[in-house]
Amino acid sequence: MHQLLTLFWVFLKINLLSTSGAASTGLLYNEAVGHFLTEDQFVQAVGLATLLPGSDALQLAMFVGYTVAGVAGGLVSLFAAILPPTILMFVLVSLLHRVQREAWLSRFVEGLTPAVAVLILTVSWKVLKSGTGGNFDWIIIAVGGASLLAYLFEIPAPFVILIAGVVGTFAFR
Amino acid sequence: MNQPSRFQVWSRLFWIFLKVNLLTTAGPTSTGLLYKECVGKIMNESQFVEAVGFSNLIPGSEALKLAMFIGYSSGGMSGVLAALLGAIIPPTVIMLTVASILVRFQGQDWMKHFIKGMTPAIAVLMTLVAWQLFRVANPKSIKWRPVLLAVLSFAALYFGIPPQYVLIGAGVLGVILYSPRRY
Repeated sequence: MHQLLTLFWVFLKINLLSTSGAASTGLLYNEAVGHFLTEDQFVQAVGLATLLPGSDALQLAMFVGYTVAGVAGGLVSLFAAILPPTILMFVLVSLLHRVQREAWLSRFVEGLTPAVAVLILTVSWKVLKSGTGGNFDWIIIAVGGASLLAYLFEIPAPFVILIAGVVGTFAFR
Repeated sequence: MNQPSRFQVWSRLFWIFLKVNLLTTAGPTSTGLLYKECVGKIMNESQFVEAVGFSNLIPGSEALKLAMFIGYSSGGMSGVLAALLGAIIPPTVIMLTVASILVRFQGQDWMKHFIKGMTPAIAVLMTLVAWQLFRVANPKSIKWRPVLLAVLSFAALYFGIPPQYVLIGAGVLGVILYSPRRY
């Protein structure tokens, strides 16, 4: 029960403080890794959410919830991820009788964005450092460099991540 | 054009979002397909642009927000529910299936190597996402407010302030910094 409450609270918070699935990875790392999620599970969650079709935010919630506490965990996290945008939307609509730009809310999100960017930047460094045990051998550097090139040439992220994983299974033997 | 019945609007919204969320992997990439499916059929161009604009205004999953705003402007509150349902079913069912299969391979060597291979690709992807988010705040040229917010957040994170407080602080600062008086 305690675990389910933790999951609910974490995903409620994450989805209140970020504007998309990709943007929420920074906060997810800080809230989950080391508490109830391992480094490997985090990389797996982000990888799968990018690979599989549909909303990344919901998939992150579903995967993390399921790994931590089974189907119940998955459903609780999913529910927590859905609540913030839906409730905000309903509140906005019923208060204003129609959807319109709420100035302070958009300014809050505008101020949030650079902070989210910085947070993700620091987390991506942490992921790289601890996911590789701190020693950057040539395989890690090659895969990182190759994926950067691939992204710059606008090869879709799901392919890049899948190929990087396959390369890993063969190269790290 | 004769007025379609409410049921037709619901089932169409549900079907559109089911399809879009089965065929695209994230919120931002789905707007192209959504445009083709919606504009001229259930809403006009300016309604679509408005819906996409609103989806950047509130926090939460991008795909869900698109579903809600498009559902709302074409089918009211009941449209929201139909579109949400369509958007939620594909990712959750697929993810649950994959996760339940993956649990069996957890801890096996090839899985560890697969994850280690994905790590640099995901780290680079996250760095690029960070850059794109920062660009959203600076569409044409670098402006001082986003830079100030970024520097402050970096300092705060560096000194070990928990990220949730950094984010809330940045949002509150945004409300103050971006208030119209300053323009």
